[in-house]
Amino acid sequence: MLEQLQIKNLTKRFGTVIANDRVTFDVRRGEIHCLFGENGAGKSTLAECIYGTYRPESGAICFNGELVEFNSPRDAIQLGIGMIHQHFVLVPPLTVLENIIVGTEDAKVLLNTQKAENKFKELCARYELKLNSHAAIWDLSVGEQQWVEILKALYLDVKFLILDEPTAVLTPEESDKLFRILNVMKRQGISIVLITHKLKEVMQSDRVTVMRKGKIVNTVDTKSTTREQLTHMMISSEIAVQGLKKQINSESTVVQIKKLDVRGPRGGYAVKDLNLTLNSHEIVGIAGVAGNGQKELFETLVGIQSPESGEVWLDTEDITHWSPAEILAAGVGHIPQDRYREGLIGQLSIVDNLLLGMHRSPRFAQRGFLDQERVRAFVQEQVDQFEIVAPSIDTVVGNLSGGNAQKVVLARELFQASVVLLANQPTRGLDISIADYVHRQLLEKRKEGYAILLASEELDELIKLSDRIVVMFKGQIAGEFDAENPDLEQIGLLMAGGNL
Amino acid sequence: MNWAKIRLERRDEVTWAWRLFCFLVAILGTLLVTGILISTAGKEPIEAFKELFIGAFVGIDSIVETLVRATPLILTGLAAVVAFRAKIWSIGQEGQLVLGAIAAYWASIVFEGLPRIIVLSGVICLGFVGGALLGVFCGWLKARYRVDEIISTVMFNYAIFYLLTYLLSGPWQPPGDFYVQSAPVIEKALLPNLLQDTRLHGGLFIAIVVAIIVYILIKRTALGYEIRAFGSNPIASSFKGIKPTRMLVVVMLISGGIAGLAGTSELLGVHGRLNTDIAAGAGYTGIIVALIGGLTPLGTVIAAVLFGAMVNGGFMMQVITGVPKSMVFAMQAITLLFFLCSTLMSQYRIKRVTEDV
Amino acid sequence: MSEFFTETIVISILAAMVRIGAPLILAAIGELIAERAGVINLGVEGMMLMGCFLGFFVTFETGSILAGIGAAMVGAMLMSLIMAFMAITLRLEQFVTGLALNLLASGLTLFWFRSLLKTIGSTQPNIDLLEKAPIPFLSDIPYLGIIVFSHNWLVYLAILSVPICSFFLYKTKYGLELRCLGENPRAIDMKGLSVAKRQYLAVLFGGMMAGLAGAFISVGSSIRFVPEMTAGRGWLAIVIVIAGNWQPKWILVAALVFAFLEAFQMHVQAVGINFPYQILLALPYVVAVIALMHRRARSRAPASLGVAYSRSS
Repeated sequence: MLEQLQIKNLTKRFGTVIANDRVTFDVRRGEIHCLFGENGAGKSTLAECIYGTYRPESGAICFNGELVEFNSPRDAIQLGIGMIHQHFVLVPPLTVLENIIVGTEDAKVLLNTQKAENKFKELCARYELKLNSHAAIWDLSVGEQQWVEILKALYLDVKFLILDEPTAVLTPEESDKLFRILNVMKRQGISIVLITHKLKEVMQSDRVTVMRKGKIVNTVDTKSTTREQLTHMMISSEIAVQGLKKQINSESTVVQIKKLDVRGPRGGYAVKDLNLTLNSHEIVGIAGVAGNGQKELFETLVGIQSPESGEVWLDTEDITHWSPAEILAAGVGHIPQDRYREGLIGQLSIVDNLLLGMHRSPRFAQRGFLDQERVRAFVQEQVDQFEIVAPSIDTVVGNLSGGNAQKVVLARELFQASVVLLANQPTRGLDISIADYVHRQLLEKRKEGYAILLASEELDELIKLSDRIVVMFKGQIAGEFDAENPDLEQIGLLMAGGNL
Repeated sequence: MNWAKIRLERRDEVTWAWRLFCFLVAILGTLLVTGILISTAGKEPIEAFKELFIGAFVGIDSIVETLVRATPLILTGLAAVVAFRAKIWSIGQEGQLVLGAIAAYWASIVFEGLPRIIVLSGVICLGFVGGALLGVFCGWLKARYRVDEIISTVMFNYAIFYLLTYLLSGPWQPPGDFYVQSAPVIEKALLPNLLQDTRLHGGLFIAIVVAIIVYILIKRTALGYEIRAFGSNPIASSFKGIKPTRMLVVVMLISGGIAGLAGTSELLGVHGRLNTDIAAGAGYTGIIVALIGGLTPLGTVIAAVLFGAMVNGGFMMQVITGVPKSMVFAMQAITLLFFLCSTLMSQYRIKRVTEDV
Repeated sequence: MSEFFTETIVISILAAMVRIGAPLILAAIGELIAERAGVINLGVEGMMLMGCFLGFFVTFETGSILAGIGAAMVGAMLMSLIMAFMAITLRLEQFVTGLALNLLASGLTLFWFRSLLKTIGSTQPNIDLLEKAPIPFLSDIPYLGIIVFSHNWLVYLAILSVPICSFFLYKTKYGLELRCLGENPRAIDMKGLSVAKRQYLAVLFGGMMAGLAGAFISVGSSIRFVPEMTAGRGWLAIVIVIAGNWQPKWILVAALVFAFLEAFQMHVQAVGINFPYQILLALPYVVAVIALMHRRARSRAPASLGVAYSRSS
């Protein structure tokens, strides 16, 4: 039978969010099939349903012609399904061999390392991999670590392998090597599903399925489509052209970022040699899939992270190594990417959350004592102004809806900021009306003269709001565009690493 | 076997009625289990509880004694409240109490010749400082060397105790004396009595004042706000300028100092001399009191009185029914466990799930 | 002072070191396994105390030391079952649970001691000490024979537990799974293995060892029980795991260092040297703190220690 995997009308929900919406999808035996789309399109969720990590609410999964229901990855593994996750599931202090054989049916009690070594050597030979079985994972390069992940699956005689954004952290050479390995696997009859947002990889597949916002857009033969067509399918086809934004002339340069280098969590550079200016009365949009250094850039600007080298100037002051408190006092506001972890204190009330950062300012605190009346009056004002829906201002923020919680962050940051606003994915997970509200607030501040840096994965949002759009890819600015008439195809290409 | 197929979901609404119900269930459970425990010791539970209550609350003398027993617990409980609110898990109240008492005793010797007012304020201040120093030291160890505060504080509990025994069998033991204790504290340094001819002493006054101060601190000051914010989400707090290092040092200073006051109160209000019984587990009991009191000053005071009642009533209970008064300590721990479960019950719903979670 | 360091005394100190180190080793190895699974068990002190009391009590009532040791292990395991349930299934704050268990053990053992054993009176109940079992031939080796090979069998068990634990961790399939568990439970979960089951078993094992260690303190080295007899050794076990960088052989070394301090202190007191012995008594605790200050650059603490695992997190 041609189809090894068939999925019909699969729906997966997380609370009120529909991650996969009636997905119908199939994979043929021995093909390389790409799942293509932006972050949040639902690709990973679909993969985890196939692998047994999640149970879909409805829909059918057929593997090798038989209906299957997985309670855990164990069931999927036993049928020969393997998955390599975006964030490796390796144990860093342990060796390559140990990571591969843990949990396999290799031995009753004693570890039979000899047998395992032999199989390891044989697999390495077949796939042309050079790995030292006794090396510890944390001594390996990222590319080598990925080979270990692949070997884990091969060791279990995988027949159907899913790879989730495998080249996100690889260099071009490592990516090429990966594809050579995948092609060897394909020749061995292993079916491969490759989740990616990079066009270069998609073009090397047999078929590609495009997903957007939880739904399947289309499945096409790769040979019969073009990059442009695919980009078009991935990005929303209706770009709302709106006259909300009026042309304003920037008066001065407010923020200057020079040659910024920031280390990332895995040791490599999250931001490399980045140069950017922000002017007053201006919104600069950063386009790019999350994970290309936006977080580290913002954290450096806010003062949480210190860059390895480079400078950040606010007006005439060098704020490169300033603390968060100092930067806050200088009038820089920050709407963080992860609102619950970095922006809000879920267990505290709206009052307490709006006060955060201003709790020692003379406006609210005299000699260490908080003027509760003033604070509450202020909070009530903000709640009214921003139309925050809540039973009272003492409601715990964790109980608010996502949109209202974000409004709390917004109200606070817009109030505290006086010159600069840093907004990182400010409308993520919010519905249209609240997103619109956020947009209007940002445009308002732009009119007032703020310099605003906006990072977003939604191109329409960026086009709607920005004066200029820069594309960030792997920690660098890949290109800059005028937002009046943006070359969408070019932007999409750069976001997907197209020029490399 | 289903090892993990349970998920806890936060309840949307926690009504007063439900909270009260859970609280009553906890009390009932405690009485039940403790009753069983008493029966296994061959005694009558109901008798025992009756005498416990009488001994704690019936008659002026009983009430006074209950309050005297509660006083150190109020203070050590408050010390724990301040620390735990910042999610700093200091369990060193016992050691800080002792060091506070040591400092207060030393102060009483040093200030001997001075007028009463100065002596009294001096010993109280130094008692605070003694506990505060130990607290700050542990806070600093965490900030600078990442030494877990749970371990450092508990280790010092033991070490300080040995310091105490050293002092009491060496430099501070009156020459020729046989007992391991110090000379009596000078009259001037003793805390005044609140009620004539009773044991009710100024320490209770100090405890209540500190409770009020802690209340004001948490509710109305910028520092109290920072403590609450830091304890609930240190990451978001650091984005807004609340530095972890500063929190560690300041919170531990206050917490240690309050525990030091507990030692001062016991020394100058109850014992009148420094001996090895000065703490008698008040540090650890204070932690239970704080947890049961919901980490609030008022709750702590109430729980402290309750626990003080238990300890006091235990004496009567032992005399009349023969149930050892140490049953009270078991009861206190059981109360804690039931309380933890009932808090869980009131805030979360237990759900069984089909898939592994 | 030089008269102190005679040959006999040194050998005596070293022999005492091994004997005093035994319960520390047992408890630490148990805690190591639990922590390697990712669960930090702060209730070790309480479990040890429970084991200490139950060991004494059951031995006293039944006359059988074996029954006492068995009861100690069971009692401690029951406590660790509570710990496991609250930490793994309910995913509660591990600190509070551990502390509550400590306080529970304190209260219960004190109460049972006073109520079940007629201690209000002049005679203290006591039991026969576990007999020494010198190993034939080996115990005749000069010096080493006395230091290592002339103890009771619980000491031998403690010493053996180190290589056994090492063997388990590094040479068996389950040991490998355990090592992965504490570092990255998701790795185990994504291989289709049950994280919760393995964590439960590890915590139960830790409880059992704590119970055994507690039993040793009463049954194995003393003829009576005193409230709070464990005197912080459970906490020291936690420190020993950290100081030993989560590896069996270094845990053995760390345990012996602490044991040496106590053995040294005992002998100083016995010999009657004019030295404030309280300083020596306090020494282990202070050394523990100092040891924690000097964490190695690459601490081998299990990366996921203390974090309740959930697939959706």
